[in-house]
Amino acid sequence: MFQWTKRQFVRLAGLAIAGRIAPRLLPGAPVDAGRKVIIVTFGGGVRYSETFSPEGLRNIPALASLRPKGFFYSNCANAGVLSHFNSSASILTGNWQRVDDFGFERPAGATIFEQFRKQRRLPSTQAWAICTNKSFSLMNHGAARDLGEPYGANLVLPKQLLIEAVDEVVKQRAAPGGVADRDAVLRQLEGVLNEGYEGIGWTIFKGSRDLDNTVRATLTRSLVEYINGPELPSSGDELTFFVTREVMREFGPRLLFVNFWDMDVAHWGSYSLYLQAVARTDRLVGMLWEEIETNPRYKGRTTLLVLPELGRDGDVNTANGFLNHRSGDASCRNMWLLALGAGVARGESDQPVRHIDVASTAAGILGFHNPEAAGKPLSRILL
Amino acid sequence: MPAAAPSPLLQGLIDKGLFERLPPTFSTFFFERIRDWALLFPAEQSYFERLFGMFDRSEPELVDQLFAPLRAVEARMGVNPRTWPTRQFTLANVDFLNRSPHYAEWRGVIGDIFSRIDPLLDQELVQFARPRLAIVTAPAELPTGPDRMWTRLAAKGRRVPLRLDAGEDLLGSLLTGGAGGSSLLELCAARDGAGQAWLIEAGQRRAAGAGRYTHLSYEALQPYRIRLMDEVRNMVQREDIRGPRQLGERLRAMSMPGGHADGVVADFVRTTLLNGNGTLLINNTFVEWASIQAVRRARPTVLVSSFGVRNKVKPFSSLLIYADQEKVTPVPTQTDTLGSYVDLEIFYQYLWQEFEKYVEYRGNTVYLFAGEGMDEMLVLGPAEFSLRTPAAPRDVHAALKGWLKL
Repeated sequence: MFQWTKRQFVRLAGLAIAGRIAPRLLPGAPVDAGRKVIIVTFGGGVRYSETFSPEGLRNIPALASLRPKGFFYSNCANAGVLSHFNSSASILTGNWQRVDDFGFERPAGATIFEQFRKQRRLPSTQAWAICTNKSFSLMNHGAARDLGEPYGANLVLPKQLLIEAVDEVVKQRAAPGGVADRDAVLRQLEGVLNEGYEGIGWTIFKGSRDLDNTVRATLTRSLVEYINGPELPSSGDELTFFVTREVMREFGPRLLFVNFWDMDVAHWGSYSLYLQAVARTDRLVGMLWEEIETNPRYKGRTTLLVLPELGRDGDVNTANGFLNHRSGDASCRNMWLLALGAGVARGESDQPVRHIDVASTAAGILGFHNPEAAGKPLSRILL
Repeated sequence: MPAAAPSPLLQGLIDKGLFERLPPTFSTFFFERIRDWALLFPAEQSYFERLFGMFDRSEPELVDQLFAPLRAVEARMGVNPRTWPTRQFTLANVDFLNRSPHYAEWRGVIGDIFSRIDPLLDQELVQFARPRLAIVTAPAELPTGPDRMWTRLAAKGRRVPLRLDAGEDLLGSLLTGGAGGSSLLELCAARDGAGQAWLIEAGQRRAAGAGRYTHLSYEALQPYRIRLMDEVRNMVQREDIRGPRQLGERLRAMSMPGGHADGVVADFVRTTLLNGNGTLLINNTFVEWASIQAVRRARPTVLVSSFGVRNKVKPFSSLLIYADQEKVTPVPTQTDTLGSYVDLEIFYQYLWQEFEKYVEYRGNTVYLFAGEGMDEMLVLGPAEFSLRTPAAPRDVHAALKGWLKL
């Protein structure tokens, strides 16, 4: 006769009753299974009228073609402060942020980077933030005391790197072609990397010297691709894309935040430049999705969440329409959210959702808790 | 130019404590505005005198009733002498409002207050209503015909065929009749004052009589723009300015007169160029924003806004906002005619909307939207302004002269 040891019995009993004593769906209970999340702010401020409105669709062919493949929330609201930093920090913390508009304060509370890394005991290579907006240097972790820097994300500010290099080219008149000389700019960029990059707008966690070297090599590769790309390099978002792609290929992080920002050129008062930036960001998001679909480390296990962090003022009854984003009107606040990839059902909903729901959704997918978040998981995505 | 005390009327109201009786977020903003009294246009000075004069004349209970919702919101926002020092409105105040969870509510209440005040103030102006004119021109280089122009406004007006002579300077003919006589701007300025006739242009028109009316040219301002950019860049590097808020505060304090002989207009030019919305970099942004500010602040009788073709953005321009783009890169300057066309289509709408916000313009303004070399223009305005079509520019000039009673 088969006999169990006491230890075997207790173990089996424990397993048998576990389903009764634990809720079936704990908030933030591990969905995991190697899942990855990429959050993209389609950013710098863009209005519905230039994106998913009938007349805006021509500006976003890539997103328009991806929409039927994912779940589209047509009513995603930013009810917080309409600055880039606060809006993006609200997405990453799950709470409406009211800190310094220009990034001189860390997000209040904890970001999902810290919660994810601490609870899942993950190394720093598993969480990255790559941001065109150069004022996002404090976006890699929040101000929560028990979390913070040890659990933060690696942060890269490609545009800040570019500014340093371009500024050097101008100051030194390093090339006969000025800043239009691709080789000169590349030399300066590489020089900045070699001289030490801590001071110019990014934080790379140094788990080991090897990582440090790997990071440098990875970023250099992306700079070379950027500078030698088919188009004259002038866009911070393009560099952000190339850095993102190299980081995905080299480190395969499970949580990635990508901040695009070129559309904020609208402040210059050129509608055509703003539309060009919208089209460019659309193209880059399409390329990012292609990378997800072809990179074996991401294919089939990645959820991509794309949303504008804020809109811009409407054309009627505002100070100067698309140039600004502070009126607080519907054109500034009413956004959309497109979810694609693993666990996402196809469909659309006009059910109101909020920017702060993104953090809890990412937590649900990646299997960690985000206990302080006011946002709720988006149930149509957490499958 | 040093700040001067407000008018005796307003100073009297300040001395008797009117501003202390009003909610702090309201009174502090206006207190700051009237501090630079000598740099305000007459229309602005008149508005402030009428606004606060009305509060002073009104029953205190009515004023309290008007502002009660605002006081309630301020209490919820935590406005108090510690968080909100009176008599100084800085960017920190703007920050305080923006970051408040009650900001949207505050904006709504402010909007309600003005929706009740403005009709009363407007009534005082109706009796002084007079015919006005706005001319908006596009450059000849745009890659489109008149059928694709002014698309956002076309339904509000009528398209008028024009009989143009070959190579005719359309704007010149509209303004002078083509006979070398005084322009509408000169005639208006002679009657109403230089501040009532404005020409704001991307290029540099060699117009007769310039100096007798208010004339701003992006091209002519180039030396001043370069000096301004150098000054800002040096300031940023020298003073280690941390961010946009600090830069904004510093720019407000920066004294750099120039750009125009008239002190009020010179300050107008400085603030227009430094407001951060691309006016330093893009000619048409300067024309649009300066025109909107002129309407908002000076309420001219005649405003001519003449757009040009903007240049293509050079590589890395976005990284070097306060740098002379001609110096930092040898890439040849190229024009962007298609981009300019797209930019202007939305600017026409914004300009027209700005005029129509103010009682001075509603119902008594003729708007001409024209393009150099185009044989059609768009006319918006009262039915009593009529043109025989097709019209020669000199005929349009004559009709406008009659409309303005010049």
